[in-house]
Amino acid sequence: MESEYKAIMIGGSAGSFQVVCKIIAALPADYPLPIIMCLHRLKHVRSGFVEALSIKSKLPIIEPHDKEPLRNGRIYLAPANYHMYIELGNRFSLSTEDVINHSRPSIDLSFFSASYNYKRKLVGIILSGANKDGALGLKSVADGGGLTIVQDPKECQVPTMTTASMNATKVDHIFTTKQIIDFLLKLT
Amino acid sequence: MISNDDIAKVLAAFKTASTYDFSDYCDRSFARRVDKILTDNKISADLFVKQLMSDRDFLEKSVRDITVNTTELFRDPQMWLNLRYQVLPRFKDKPTIKIWHAGCSSGQEIYSMMILLNELGMFDKAQIFATDINTAVIEAAQTGTYKYMFNLNYLDNFDKVMRENPYNFEQKYDVPYEKYFDIDKRKDVIQMNDFLCKKPVFRKHDLVSGCNPFYHQFDLILCRNVIIYFNPKLQNKVINMFANNLSVNGFLILGASESILGSANSSFERMVGFYRKKQTISMF
Ligand SMILES: C[S@@+](CC[C@H](N)C(=O)[O-])C[C@H]1O[C@@H](n2cnc3c(N)ncnc32)[C@H](O)[C@@H]1O
Repeated sequence: MESEYKAIMIGGSAGSFQVVCKIIAALPADYPLPIIMCLHRLKHVRSGFVEALSIKSKLPIIEPHDKEPLRNGRIYLAPANYHMYIELGNRFSLSTEDVINHSRPSIDLSFFSASYNYKRKLVGIILSGANKDGALGLKSVADGGGLTIVQDPKECQVPTMTTASMNATKVDHIFTTKQIIDFLLKLT
Repeated sequence: MISNDDIAKVLAAFKTASTYDFSDYCDRSFARRVDKILTDNKISADLFVKQLMSDRDFLEKSVRDITVNTTELFRDPQMWLNLRYQVLPRFKDKPTIKIWHAGCSSGQEIYSMMILLNELGMFDKAQIFATDINTAVIEAAQTGTYKYMFNLNYLDNFDKVMRENPYNFEQKYDVPYEKYFDIDKRKDVIQMNDFLCKKPVFRKHDLVSGCNPFYHQFDLILCRNVIIYFNPKLQNKVINMFANNLSVNGFLILGASESILGSANSSFERMVGFYRKKQTISMF
């Protein structure tokens, strides 16, 4: 079945690593949509992140190079220390602009550009995190007509990010990790 | 966010009032930079366009504000280690080594290179050229003065590249900072030594022009984290220009997350982290 969505964008920070692992472990090798993840990393965890996630995943996990075309059936992870945009024409674009909300990559920036590109064909998901990055991003997904999901704050290790997102916009779904997984599997 | 119509007007104003042409910059990041200028100056897009057309100083300042200048000493240490152990040794027996830093920003990359060259005994035979579109960062690069507090990671990077040997953990090089720069914590300053500051030839240059501003062929061209702001078409044009101005077996070094995607790729052989210029049939 053709999905009505073209891409899934996930933002997360403190406390999101385990959740992300569970989500990607549950996706089958022929999952058709691209998953684009913008996650804050601890300063010293520059490398090894992709390797750690790859162990769990049946799909290839890629830190995109600048201007790399986005392909279905892959999981993309914003590279450390760059902002990651999705440009029209479905290419990644990187930038070293200053940190925003103490963050580079900035979840807001990635979400803004994805929602500009995909409009209502985008699913935006915000997970556990200790700051407000991502809240305006998720709002832009909603404003563009896309679907918005936050991890249930009751389940989040640190609920600041999801709560801020819920304050910024009326989200479509508040889901536990398990519900997020079921939703993603049913999407296609 | 600024509308596409307004972006089009801004691009047109730059083109009419100057030789700057940002039309092949990346759409999203360019829009964001202009948006930031409008917010910082509290002006409308229309007023911005008017001022660009009527006030040359304002236009030049706007060019400086549009560019993103973040940089570090020994940014991406792995690249510098590759340079130290894989690339620079190939030039040991050559009488000269000509290096172009395109998009040098405030100069940290140039100083990193000169420090490395000096440790390898190649400083004197090196000729260093450095360009940027932004005159303010060129001036900063010439002075070689950097903040201390915000840049403690410079010293970590320095240690990784200059004091440790990843191929032999037992080996430690004793390279004192003072050999290359003075740290004044009270004034919050890192000051590069004079013999380094005096060496490079600086020039203002816009890569969009697609030409080499020097009468030289280069052995090494570094253009890191610059063309990420360009669209694929302009990237390809710039990389072709680099290919035409690199000597055979010269190296092009891009940023850690950059690669050559377009037709310019055929001029190069990809090595870990580097592109080596291939032999071509016609040399002229
Ligand atoms: C992010 S800095 C990179 C500095 C350094 N190469 C590094 O990697 O640390 C990018 C630089 O490219 C310069 N730049 C942007 N557009 C340019 C153009 N058209 N021509 C020359 N330089 C340009 C900017 O002014 C800025 O200083």
